[in-house]
Amino acid sequence: MINRKLVKFLSFRYVILALLFIILAGGLVLLPKFEKQEGIKPEQLLSNIISPERYITTDELADRIINQDPSLLLIDLRDEETFKKYSLPNAINMPLKNLFDEDSSAFLNQDAYDVVFFSNDNFDADQAWILCNRLDYKNLYVLKGGINRWFKTIINPPHPKENMPLEAFKLYATRKAASMYFGVAYPDQVKTNVPKRPRPTPKKVITVKKKKKAPEGGC
Amino acid sequence: MKELEKIKRISIVSILFILAVLIGLLTYKRPKNTYAINTEKTLEKITNNHFFITLENINTPDYVLIDVRSQNEFEKGHLEHAINIHTPEILNNSAFFKELKKSNKIAILYGENPQQVNIPFLFLYQLGYDNIKLLTVKNSYSQNKLITKTCDIEKLEADISAFINESVKNSKIKVTPKKTIQPPKKIITVQKKKKKAPEGGC
Repeated sequence: MINRKLVKFLSFRYVILALLFIILAGGLVLLPKFEKQEGIKPEQLLSNIISPERYITTDELADRIINQDPSLLLIDLRDEETFKKYSLPNAINMPLKNLFDEDSSAFLNQDAYDVVFFSNDNFDADQAWILCNRLDYKNLYVLKGGINRWFKTIINPPHPKENMPLEAFKLYATRKAASMYFGVAYPDQVKTNVPKRPRPTPKKVITVKKKKKAPEGGC
Repeated sequence: MKELEKIKRISIVSILFILAVLIGLLTYKRPKNTYAINTEKTLEKITNNHFFITLENINTPDYVLIDVRSQNEFEKGHLEHAINIHTPEILNNSAFFKELKKSNKIAILYGENPQQVNIPFLFLYQLGYDNIKLLTVKNSYSQNKLITKTCDIEKLEADISAFINESVKNSKIKVTPKKTIQPPKKIITVQKKKKKAPEGGC
């Protein structure tokens, strides 16, 4: 009697097992909701975004542009219209809303260049940086203060007052020189603009007469 | 006899399998904080939605003011009825934000300037709290008093190319257009994984 029931039950054993596995597999579908999270962990992101390491000052940037740093890649996040009016030399226009277009990811997700984001101030640039940082893109920077500070410090540097320390004057001189590089002209520039080139003095050539030695010897 | 052996083996394997799955389920640690939207959607939302609010419009009972500056700054002076949540502590207060969202209240973040608030704002936004707005004010102190001023965001303050042209005109120097050396175009090669040469063959 028992044996027969057992046999009947056992004839379904594979079906039962299969069903059990399918149910378990269904449970696995629900799990990865958390694993599918895009990018780095929120805790990590928070600690990244509150650190000011991403900022680069206008002076540093000017220095790198003037020295023609080949690893520098400037990205202008403003719209096309403002980009055409004025932008930093050799910058690439990439409006914020196009940040994740297909073409842009080649610029952002790489490790060959130091990418500097900038906008009018650093509001949009920060947003772009935060989103890219979540995707774990490396070598990204933000121009602190953006174009507005660029204008205030590099293009039109404030003249230091007389009671300011020497450093302020030195900084002003550097910034002024930088602004000249970026196309600003000053009324008192005339002399500095045309450096006198020393005339090349003809080279004196002193010829040394070689004494010919009479062949010695012989018999 | 052979049949019995087979059944035994199958049942042992299946029990082990079920056990492994159960252990996996039980020890699975649910991450504490999770993003609610991905980066592309966030970008789309922040570029389309209007999340700024000005100082004049904040006197509604549905609004809760949140000060993201440090506690020290907060104690020096803050807006009326504001709550202090410093940016690094935001994750410890996620219960508070959840409650706000449940009760349909809108959190208004402010700080020293909009740039500073931008960071916690975008962070919370990605965690799914879309009931937050950003107060466009600048806070500074004058004679021990907090002074709050409305300010603009992403507004170009000067026309730079006009300024440069003006300066060139004023200086009366004939500036010959400089031939700037164009650096070579930047070409970024995306590294493709090399396809493995087909193996095998004899």
